[in-house]
Amino acid sequence: MPEIKVTPLGAGQDVGRSCILVSIAGKNVMLDCGMHMGYNDDRRFPDFSYITQNGRLTDFLDCVIISHFHLDHCGALPYFSEMVGYDGPIYMTHPTKAICPILLEDYRKITVDKKGETNFFTSQMIKDCMKKVVAVHLHQTVQVDEELEIKAYYAGHVLGAAMFQIKVGCESVVYTGDYNMTPDRHLGAAWIDKCRPDLLISESTYATTIRDSKRCRERDFLKKVHETVERGGKVLIPVFALGRAQELCILLETFWERMNLKAPIYFSTGLTEKANHYYKLFITWTNQKIRKTFVQRNMFEFKHIKAFDRAYADNPGPMVVFATPGMLHAGQSLQIFRKWAGNEKNMVIMPGYCVQGTVGHKILSGQRKLEMEGRQILEVKMQVEYMSFSAHADAKGIMQLIRQAEPRNVLLVHGEAKKMEFLKQKIEQEFHVSCYMPANGETTTIFTNPSIPVDISLGLLKRETAIGLLPDAKKPKLMHGTLIMKDNSFRLVSPEQALKELGLAEHQLRFTCRVHIQDPRKEHETGLRVYNHLKAILKDYSVQHLPDGSITVESILIQATAHSEDQGTKVLLVSWTYQDEELGSYLTSLLKKGLPQSTA
Amino acid sequence: MSRECGLLLPRVCAALAGPRPPAAADTCLQKLLDWLGELSEAEPGLKLLQDNPCLAELLAAVLALPEPGAGLLSFALRLAGLLAASESAFQHLQQEQLLARLFGEAGPRAGAAWADAAVRGAWLDGARSMALHEPALRLLCAHGALDVIFTLQGDPSLFVASAARRLLVHTLSFSLEYEMPKAPGTRVCYWPPCAQVIVKHIEDSLQSSSVSHVKQSLKLLAGLFGSCHAPWTEVLWSGIAKQVQSFLTEESVQAPHLLADLLLNMSRSPVFCEPESSFWPLVTSALEHLTPVQAGPLAVGILRLHKCPQDVRIQAVTVLLQPMDCILRAASQPLEYSGLLDESVTDPATVESLLSSKSSCASLLCQTLGHLEELLSLSHLPVDLPGTSLLRSVMTILRFCNGLLIPTSPLGSKISQTLIGCFRVQRSALDVLAVLSEQKGCDVPVESLFDILLSYLESPNTNPMVLKKSFQATSKWLVCLPEMSCFSSQWQIKKILQDVFLVLQKRLCSPCWEVRDSSLEFLTVLINGLRDHDEFRQTLLSSEVPRLTEDLLGDPESYVRASAVTAAGHLILVTYVAPESPVTGNQYNKENTVAKLQEILSRDPEGFPRRAVINIFIKWLRKGYTSLLQDTEQFVSEVIQTAERDLDWEVRLGGLELVEVFFVQTFCRCGRPKCPYAPFSPEFTSSVCHNESLQVFCRAKLFGFLFRSLCDCDRPVGQKACDILLAIRSSFYPSNSLKDSQDPEEVGHGIAWLQRTLRQGSLAQTFPAGSSHEVDFQDPESMLLALGTIDLEELHDDLNKSSDHVEKSPQSLLQDILAAVGAAEDNEADCY
Repeated sequence: MPEIKVTPLGAGQDVGRSCILVSIAGKNVMLDCGMHMGYNDDRRFPDFSYITQNGRLTDFLDCVIISHFHLDHCGALPYFSEMVGYDGPIYMTHPTKAICPILLEDYRKITVDKKGETNFFTSQMIKDCMKKVVAVHLHQTVQVDEELEIKAYYAGHVLGAAMFQIKVGCESVVYTGDYNMTPDRHLGAAWIDKCRPDLLISESTYATTIRDSKRCRERDFLKKVHETVERGGKVLIPVFALGRAQELCILLETFWERMNLKAPIYFSTGLTEKANHYYKLFITWTNQKIRKTFVQRNMFEFKHIKAFDRAYADNPGPMVVFATPGMLHAGQSLQIFRKWAGNEKNMVIMPGYCVQGTVGHKILSGQRKLEMEGRQILEVKMQVEYMSFSAHADAKGIMQLIRQAEPRNVLLVHGEAKKMEFLKQKIEQEFHVSCYMPANGETTTIFTNPSIPVDISLGLLKRETAIGLLPDAKKPKLMHGTLIMKDNSFRLVSPEQALKELGLAEHQLRFTCRVHIQDPRKEHETGLRVYNHLKAILKDYSVQHLPDGSITVESILIQATAHSEDQGTKVLLVSWTYQDEELGSYLTSLLKKGLPQSTA
Repeated sequence: MSRECGLLLPRVCAALAGPRPPAAADTCLQKLLDWLGELSEAEPGLKLLQDNPCLAELLAAVLALPEPGAGLLSFALRLAGLLAASESAFQHLQQEQLLARLFGEAGPRAGAAWADAAVRGAWLDGARSMALHEPALRLLCAHGALDVIFTLQGDPSLFVASAARRLLVHTLSFSLEYEMPKAPGTRVCYWPPCAQVIVKHIEDSLQSSSVSHVKQSLKLLAGLFGSCHAPWTEVLWSGIAKQVQSFLTEESVQAPHLLADLLLNMSRSPVFCEPESSFWPLVTSALEHLTPVQAGPLAVGILRLHKCPQDVRIQAVTVLLQPMDCILRAASQPLEYSGLLDESVTDPATVESLLSSKSSCASLLCQTLGHLEELLSLSHLPVDLPGTSLLRSVMTILRFCNGLLIPTSPLGSKISQTLIGCFRVQRSALDVLAVLSEQKGCDVPVESLFDILLSYLESPNTNPMVLKKSFQATSKWLVCLPEMSCFSSQWQIKKILQDVFLVLQKRLCSPCWEVRDSSLEFLTVLINGLRDHDEFRQTLLSSEVPRLTEDLLGDPESYVRASAVTAAGHLILVTYVAPESPVTGNQYNKENTVAKLQEILSRDPEGFPRRAVINIFIKWLRKGYTSLLQDTEQFVSEVIQTAERDLDWEVRLGGLELVEVFFVQTFCRCGRPKCPYAPFSPEFTSSVCHNESLQVFCRAKLFGFLFRSLCDCDRPVGQKACDILLAIRSSFYPSNSLKDSQDPEEVGHGIAWLQRTLRQGSLAQTFPAGSSHEVDFQDPESMLLALGTIDLEELHDDLNKSSDHVEKSPQSLLQDILAAVGAAEDNEADCY
């Protein structure tokens, strides 16, 4: 039976780094190639040695698909393609291809900078890796090879994020990557058509959460920033260069405009321009409101947000600064934090998750006395706020997507085991489909029952209707014919047409059998006894005794001959066509029982 | 362990098994294990346990929990294993039967948590860490651990199954080598009981009717022969050889990849490598019986061996060459070409049928080409491959792929239909073509070779990745073209170069950035390889390529701008080598390009082009092309002033490298050794040159840049600056003269201020702005004094630590775990 196999190397019952292997109809696809930012050794990358034990990766994998530009989905890609040695095609959407190298480069710089690390991918490797990427458009069916095709759907979450349908023949899998079912300030909601895949692989970050209104969180955020600025304090918002930063920039820009605020807002590093350039370039990927207002005013041309210079951090008075990186683990955001941490009027707002081993993680866990270099202690007096703006579908959204796509099976990834378990039960109850949640390294096998379309010849169909069987769309119907496989398609035609098309002559197939019976009489007498016996039993059949001594019952022919070595034994030669297979078998078994004495 | 950590660890242990365990990040426990593992390696395990009784208490507390979480249980199993790695610590833990309870029947194996793959994996890891001494092995065997491990080989988790195999391999080899250190008996029945159980299990599984059991055993054996090369492996093999051999003679070979893997691992073992070994006929048989796809990896592995019987090697070569041979035969008329192999010794039927099938043709060719590339790239290949025939075959494949060749033979026609437009095969074939350029003694059909390459470079249908590989192959062949004895005609070379530059001109204008970038990279490689070749220089300079390259300095894509910078920087070298270039009117404008590159360094919004500029400047200076620059001192001074302001630390680092090269060259002019780290000669101080050099450095404002860089917010910049300053100091001060260096407070206010500022600034990673009046960086005497006075070694040690060494320290980790006790769940659930 055909099967689909799924093995997560990452994102199986965790949210560390996504990397999922899918085998479908002989094709092998890797979904995402993420990195775990919490480690600084080889454990940050998935263990690719499990992909194949025999042969080269490029020969084994048919393609790699990247759902979006977050590093937990694409961070290991240059390592995989340039250091591990995968040389095959990589697919992602156009915005992801544009933005991915910026984030990879940003991360590389921070990693190498912090630790002076050498065993890490280089700029050249990032570029070479990006050259292997084939960019795809939404809803464009891309033929990876003759059998394998992929198609991207809008996923919300971040600019360019996509869900991917992977199809081989009539079997298909949809991988959601990270998605968001509610629109936000700059992106729309995820959407997919009723594609009824054999398997939907869905993220489940907020598997048990029904998230509070985003409006409330936004109001809260603006209130906190406003209050701090009003009392003359400075607000630091550590962000990654692209993604949530743009969402928050639009939020503040609109608020500043409405409230006519004067305090400066800065965005650090030279990335602002490039980020905004991409948001302008890929305007079709943003939400409807931004697209509509684009003609009058581009939302990404900020009036209040200016580029930051290192010297501004010492300026007196209130200000808001967006600085990278987002976990306060190096660079400018950490430098500004050190300067401002001692003043209780200031505030740091952490809009995202921080891994252990970063200053961001420390202050979020409530630590207020931080050891710095040279045994100095930094006392954090500034306010520390955590506000999650990560854009994932909540439990309601996940159910909505399943309703939309109508999959035959669901597999959950990118979530915590306990929460997945809860959602799994809910999905199985509501949709009556099987739901799986493999851990990393565990293979889930899903048996598919692919329906294979077959064309029926008009002649055969007409013949069936002529004998009074009108087609009924709701009732399954048995039809007889010859199945022809030609040019990758199936056709059911009448046997005569099949012979004609294939240029073959008809052959009569007959089954034969020898039955030995004890009868010392002459052959023709034995034949007569057989005839009488059958005539008596098979009253509804035409049983004939031919002049040459043989007997026929329908197409079945019986001849009696003497045994070459034993004259007391007669051999009955029975033969029949395949149409009379049932009767032929019955007669054989009847004759094997011998002839009755009375017929003598 | 530091005192602070010693105080924190008991609290952490108590918290972990406490009623409100910390909602720590998933990496915390793993990092805690890493640290404890390092400690147990550094000091005797018993001491660690005695000094920190909280560790054993934690294990006991976890065992006492009614339903410990999978995370905590996994941690405890791994911790117990690594602590019990030493025999004394093992005995200490066993006083309370902790290990028996953790690894025995009544422990986690019997609990609900065993359903979690993480727990099973941790149990195996713990057992593996512990199984380094006989008591541990006895404990495991006594508690039925072997049966558990046998079962776990078939675990649904790949990670667990693989850990189980590794543990069995370790247990078998350890029990033999530990318990029978002299020589394990020549019969398994003399072996230790534990080893006998494992061998029996292997033998039974191999004879089992269950395919999965057979596969598990083959994997286990492959792992065993791969990692263990002791003589006893031969005894083991003698017991199973017949069974393994029987797999190969079955009509359809079971687990062919595993068999190939097993034989390959064995072939690398010194135990089996003797030519008379009965093992080799089995390898030959495998190479014959397995399909070419299955046998490919084995064949490559065999060909990499330096010790291997010749007939096996020939069989392996046959496996790899058969598809290439079939390609040649399929493409040629009957009797026109004899192919690569003698048909009388090989049966091409299987390969032909694979190549004629649409589904297998591309896979077989990609695999074969990949293997050939791997072999041809080896510097010492123990076998001679027929370079010329291979080249012809690869060229034929490339012709099939772009429709240049559609043969009439049935096989050829089928192959060409399958391969036309097949990117996968094109990529692999171009890779092999590139490495074949390095093969000596190839009888190369140069014209047809370049016809094919040019057809790929020209075709609008060429995929960007294939184009990149076409460029790579073309550059490799072009670079070795002038050296080819068979191809010395200048006009032919010129014709090829003209054609290549015509295509390059078109490709430099491609709308696709990947293509423009690969074109520029190709140009740079060509210049590097053929710069001294007259025909090349003339053709290049008379083409439009230099102008187009200059235009691409303003490309919208930063990657392309960076590659254009590199290419333009190399183009200047062409004109530098041949200033009297005969081509006029189109001569590359050196001054203009230098100015443009400086402009890019100061204004380009992206780091890549700026980094490329600084790298080119370093290259010029290093190679001694100083006549490109009117005044080197002035030039370096300007460049570093621009670089210092750069937001990209790698540009600033590049600035420092430029300074380093400048130093070396300035010293060289004074007759100093080239290496700045070379021992100092006392005569140098008295020379005029000494003063001159110092004055040059001061005039060029290098010291200000170097000292300020010590406080750079990016650590590698500070490190580099410190390295350079140390090197300069060693040039001005003999190492023994520094002993008497003065106290900074005695040498004047400026230097004392600098010393203080650097000490604080290197930690805070900032140099106070607007403080340049405190010390005169352009005053030679002050700088000489500063070099002699400031404690650069201390700074060097500080700067060598990673900038997040505090956050990554064990103390910080322990604090983070404690801080997470009872932390809000919201934070834990979030991600990016």
